[in-house]
Amino acid sequence: MKNRLKVLRAERDWSQQDLAQRLEVSRQSVNAIETGKYDPSLPLAFRIATLFDARIEEIFSPE
Amino acid sequence: MGVDQPWRFGLRKARFVTEASLDRPGLFGRPATWGISLFLSFGLIALLRISGAIEPPVGFILMAVAMMQMIPLVRTTMARQRATGYASPAIVRYNRRFLFASFGYMIGLGLAVTINDRVELGQGETILIALLPIVPIFGMIWTMARYIMEEQDEYLRHRAVMASLFGLGVVLTFGTFWGFLETFGVVPHIWAWWTFPAWAMGMGLAQCGMSIRNRLGSDT
Repeated sequence: MKNRLKVLRAERDWSQQDLAQRLEVSRQSVNAIETGKYDPSLPLAFRIATLFDARIEEIFSPE
Repeated sequence: MGVDQPWRFGLRKARFVTEASLDRPGLFGRPATWGISLFLSFGLIALLRISGAIEPPVGFILMAVAMMQMIPLVRTTMARQRATGYASPAIVRYNRRFLFASFGYMIGLGLAVTINDRVELGQGETILIALLPIVPIFGMIWTMARYIMEEQDEYLRHRAVMASLFGLGVVLTFGTFWGFLETFGVVPHIWAWWTFPAWAMGMGLAQCGMSIRNRLGSDT
């Protein structure tokens, strides 16, 4: 699954650690999601969408 | 949760690694140093014991002293986990429980071997003595199970589950391979307790592989 997490993070000038702390996950989680190595669960995807004030499909999309 | 907290999980800093040196820890701040040292110490003591250069009580004392290296090994590992974003409260609990179980195992194994060598035991007593190293091993397995149940970070939990499955695959593959070779008399018999270390080594290999894969795509 592709995602725009890195772009959205860069727009806010957040590091992976900043985003991880806002989502209350490990920095490795953010890294794995950003690089497409791990697809988040639906609850975490909703938390990401809420944080960026966007819909899930605006952040995540099929390959 | 505020973003200004450098140590989100509020862990005590490792004695051998300072905050300033986390990016490039010195020789004694690296888990690999203590891991290799522990491995070499055990190997050397085992060689001395097998060659008859030392008696069982001396071997047990040396093993107990060598086991003390587990403390800096766990501390430097925890510092590394914090620095690389792997630390979580569940991992801290896992490390502590595993450390206690490891000490319990060393003490239990030493006592069991020493008593078994020196005292004539009946079958029931031998079973009780054999339980001395078995119970701490069960503690390690319980520790791993608790970690998977307690980890709140879904990606770290996913990694632990995948590593466990990889370790299980190692045990099943090697066990099947060796078992049939043994059945046909090609290889000697080995004791069944190898399953736990083989599973743990498989887990460790899988975790290392996933860490390397993640590091290649890391972006702080």
